[in-house]
Amino acid sequence: MGEIRQIAIYGKGGIGKSTTTQNLTAGLVELGKKVMVVGCDPKADSTRLLLGGLAQKTVLDTLREEGDGVKLERILKEGFGGTRCVESGGPEPGVGCAGRGIITAIGLLENLGAYTEDLDYVFYDVLGDVVCGGFAMPMREGKAKEIYIVASGEMMALYAANNIAKGVKRFAKTGGVRLGGIICNSRNVDREMDLLRAFSKELGTKLLYYVPRDNIVQHAEINRKTVIEYRPDSKQAGEYRSLAEAVMENKDYTIPTPMEQERLEEILLEFGLMNIGDDYKI
Amino acid sequence: MAKILDKQRYKCAMSAMQTVQAIDRAIPILHSGPGCAQKLSSSSGSSGYFSPNIYPCTSINEKDVVFGGVKKLESTIRHSLDVIDADLYVVLTGCIPEIVGDNTEEVVEGFKDAKKPVIYASTAGFKGNNYKGHEEVIDSIVDQLLEPSDIRVKNLVNIWADVPYQNEFWHGNFRELERLIEKLGLVPNIIFGYNKGLSNVKKIPAAQFNLLISPWVGLNNMKKMEQKLKIPYLHYPTLPIGAFETSKFLRTVGRYAGVPEEKVEAIIEEQEAYYYYYIERYADLFLETRVMSKQFTVVSDAHYALGITKFLVNDLGLYPAKQFVVDDTPKGNQEAVSSYFKDLNYGIEAEVSFETDGYKIHNEIKAHDYHGYPLILGGYWEKEVAKQTNAHFLNVSWPVNERLIMNSYYVGYDGGLKLIEDIYSVAKTRFN
Repeated sequence: MGEIRQIAIYGKGGIGKSTTTQNLTAGLVELGKKVMVVGCDPKADSTRLLLGGLAQKTVLDTLREEGDGVKLERILKEGFGGTRCVESGGPEPGVGCAGRGIITAIGLLENLGAYTEDLDYVFYDVLGDVVCGGFAMPMREGKAKEIYIVASGEMMALYAANNIAKGVKRFAKTGGVRLGGIICNSRNVDREMDLLRAFSKELGTKLLYYVPRDNIVQHAEINRKTVIEYRPDSKQAGEYRSLAEAVMENKDYTIPTPMEQERLEEILLEFGLMNIGDDYKI
Repeated sequence: MAKILDKQRYKCAMSAMQTVQAIDRAIPILHSGPGCAQKLSSSSGSSGYFSPNIYPCTSINEKDVVFGGVKKLESTIRHSLDVIDADLYVVLTGCIPEIVGDNTEEVVEGFKDAKKPVIYASTAGFKGNNYKGHEEVIDSIVDQLLEPSDIRVKNLVNIWADVPYQNEFWHGNFRELERLIEKLGLVPNIIFGYNKGLSNVKKIPAAQFNLLISPWVGLNNMKKMEQKLKIPYLHYPTLPIGAFETSKFLRTVGRYAGVPEEKVEAIIEEQEAYYYYYIERYADLFLETRVMSKQFTVVSDAHYALGITKFLVNDLGLYPAKQFVVDDTPKGNQEAVSSYFKDLNYGIEAEVSFETDGYKIHNEIKAHDYHGYPLILGGYWEKEVAKQTNAHFLNVSWPVNERLIMNSYYVGYDGGLKLIEDIYSVAKTRFN
């Protein structure tokens, strides 16, 4: 048994990190891989599609209500294809420190022995931006060594991705964390693939996979399922399988070279994003 | 780049619990991790009413960081009100809840109808040292406890000077300032020390003016009170020690308060006659003690460094080597504080260094030629460099480790004589 590949997925809020992570997980599971998904978001919706709903208690809720004697089986639930699902959870909106919550939750998972040797992959689905030290936790201290950033051709998604790359670069200096690539969750923006390729290149990485936009994803979500489970034969299910393969086979890990604001805007200009005008369509 | 502060001269802002303790029957409630009060363990003089360094504390832990510590704070305040008989409860927040963003204000607001007043002050250690923390507590009192008064009590003066416990002579200094102000026919109001407490706090808004005796600590409080309570203030930067400065102090305050000049001059004449009687009687000792260099250095906060420097130059005729102000004076105040050191008699100016690193200070002292055995007045840390330089050393500022100061003082005419006693008690050991 090889080393567990620990992977953190970052990206702008609402970009589709959780959807992408879970569908990607489903693709890996189909190929016989053992996967654990750790949701690092107080909203605790990172495993909903794998579990068929918001089914389990979060690590932090359990800790709050049951004290320190938390048992692993209370917080780790098995989902689609034997996926192990954990949600770190967090405080009520507006109180406490969600960042510390992530640190506490991951520390607790380690202490409870959640990282078993039979695992092939652990995914950390981290909310939004790397706003503070807590949300950088999955890439610190030798946890996730691989980072993927989910982005689209929209300007704010690229700003966020560039910013996340700064965080990766910081931790690359001291730890072994590396950027594995950009995953495009398409918004059907004009010249999106070209833009993402250029952006990735400038960032010192590559566009790992381009996931086209398809309404079937929404349908699957409403049904609390990954696309692979909901419509295994659909075109989109095939896309996620291909994404899973791309991740599996990926060997290019780099220390990113984040851009200055000016350079980022130059690229956006080059691909016509700064004057979107009337032909902007989603 | 972080640096190591060698020989610390102050504590973090949360040590303003001492400011609370200095108000009779006021109690700090700490919203912090366990152990924050331990920084007071080496201080003395605050037992009796309550423990010297054990207070109600939320003792927050990791869980409170993640979910917020406000529930624990609410219960800690509630239980404190139940079991501790105090007149004023002051919640002090430490670093952890301030980083997490606990809404302390909202929790404290919930106690506005409690049987005793509960207020809070933001004293996170990362905000600065206990001089800043002291200001935060006073600001909180003004903001949350006091309202502008329609009544002005004629001649009532609020006196602000030493930072309690940080300035070890605070008890005596306040008492002597009170006595001097009374001599002018004014009515002093001090909130710290013996027989004061909440009733004096409540008198603050009715005062005719605030009198701040301090180079910079408290200036922000004066401005706040001027704005909120419409109380004007007189800023007298120098702690008056000895005849020269004390007489000047009385004239300045007298003029500001409209005390007839003849009255002020009569007081000064009487006090100076008394003072110089002693100076004359012991003048031979001062003249014959040639073993002590005429050059001196004070290592202290701006408050004591300025007061003592002025006294040693203006009254004792000594000459200032470099003076070290170690209270981390805010940059915006440094120019003004430096200028006070230039205003000495005989056209003498003292050079001031705002250095907080004891290692650098000691190196400078060692490198300076004092033309004899230096006189060094400072914290306990200066004992070491005094030994290395064969200096006469007097421990006047924090930390004070080898002497006990209960109610003695250096303020005023008597205070000046006391400081002479202390200095020459050290100088005389040279002959033994």
